[in-house]
Amino acid sequence: MDDVVSLVDVRATYEGERHATLAGVTLSVSSGERLAITGPNGAGKTTILEVINGLLPIGSGTVRTLGREVTSASHRLRAQIAYVPQNLFFPPDTPFLVCDVVLTARFGGASRWRFFTAADQDCVEGALLAVGIADLKGRPVGRLSGGQQRKVLLARALAQEAKLLLLDEPTANLDPEAKREVAELVALVQRDLGAAAVVVSHEVGPLLDGSDRVVTVEAGRIVERARPVRIPVATH
Amino acid sequence: MFGLPWHIILPTLLGSLLVGAMCSSIGTFVVRLKLSSLGFAMSHAAFAGAALGLMVTVVDPIWTAILFAVLMAAALGPIADLSRLQVDTVVGATFPLTMALGLIFINKSPSSGIGSGALSLLWGSVLGITIGQVYVLAGVFVAMVGVLFLFGRQFFSLLLDRKLATASGLNTARAFYVLLFVVAIVVAVSLRVTGGLLIYALMILPASAAFQWAYDIKKVFLIAPLLGILASLSGFVLSLGADLPIGASIALCCAAVFFGSILLSPKRRRGRGLG
Repeated sequence: MDDVVSLVDVRATYEGERHATLAGVTLSVSSGERLAITGPNGAGKTTILEVINGLLPIGSGTVRTLGREVTSASHRLRAQIAYVPQNLFFPPDTPFLVCDVVLTARFGGASRWRFFTAADQDCVEGALLAVGIADLKGRPVGRLSGGQQRKVLLARALAQEAKLLLLDEPTANLDPEAKREVAELVALVQRDLGAAAVVVSHEVGPLLDGSDRVVTVEAGRIVERARPVRIPVATH
Repeated sequence: MFGLPWHIILPTLLGSLLVGAMCSSIGTFVVRLKLSSLGFAMSHAAFAGAALGLMVTVVDPIWTAILFAVLMAAALGPIADLSRLQVDTVVGATFPLTMALGLIFINKSPSSGIGSGALSLLWGSVLGITIGQVYVLAGVFVAMVGVLFLFGRQFFSLLLDRKLATASGLNTARAFYVLLFVVAIVVAVSLRVTGGLLIYALMILPASAAFQWAYDIKKVFLIAPLLGILASLSGFVLSLGADLPIGASIALCCAAVFFGSILLSPKRRRGRGLG
């Protein structure tokens, strides 16, 4: 299978910091695969996602995403990558409705002169329906619960029709039921789009269990590569 | 009307309405993106620039006001990066500089007496607007609406979340600088109506008030210019009726709109559920 993501010996340092956040990371993600990245806080998990979509420039090594080298100016490439940042929760006074949050997924990569069509609206409504929040489309996003906001962002990823999902701690701060729902929705979105996914999570749970591979990062290096152990569900 | 002929009233009335609509529309971005301090810096830079124009007398002060405001918009980011300081801190440093320059330029201008045309740059002037300047304001208004449509997708996403917009493939850095440029132009051309010290009120208060009335950004963009026009019109009438400086009158009306919106906001009353 073709690699959707390929990092070779990547070093990256945040501006103003002396020590490299990533110190020689090599990894790849194949088409349709889900890679989970785990590790302690500050290990460099989020940084890996940021170099994959070019939000953080690298110091050395190579990064290829969807077959192309990535830079901070790779706007068209990023339009094919759905990114759910860590701790992105909309405060209660956010002046955006759920349908408009999802609609913004259709903006990247569109021609400046292209106005939004009924097809875009259909796509938004289809995405909301797929993740089970069609009834929330006219609600202010800031007034939803944390779990519902995660679902909105997953609907947004679906509406983007992305080829790659980058999900940073998508189940953080959710209750166990919401964690399970979000894990199921990640699988659904991946299946519907036929997309690869890189999922960062520092906790064991359904999201990691459903991954094809798990890498553990510590101090900017990959220290372990494994396949998740799937515990068979007992049937009665 | 108020004992003044229409050929004097009309340009000021039209100018006030255009400035009210423009400043409050662009103010919606300034408020939502928490750029209030930038708007503040640009309004004072525009004031200093206009004062320079009055001093040298060879160009219309509006052009020097635009030049200073645009230079401020272009310089703030790099200065903050170079000094590794927050933009707010840099703005704090530029405020006394631009005010001092403005006051020195006014002092050295040929018409520097108290109550002179030069000082109308500080607090605006009812009679300071000509029909030619109304055309300039109308042109800038049309251009502003054009830019808002042209960069509509970027601006809309920027207002939701800048990082999410960048990660979705939008060139948010370019959109942000275009926005700063538009703010600078709007502030500079509006200076003559409200004055340099109070234009900030027209940019921030109606837009902040609009956010009290809706959870939907599209509605906020309709409400803000309406409130801006309401404040401008009320300020215009108050200024003529009570013989007050127009800038101060408009600022008072902006404050009334703002505090009235806070008191009457359906968000406060119901605590939830607005569209």
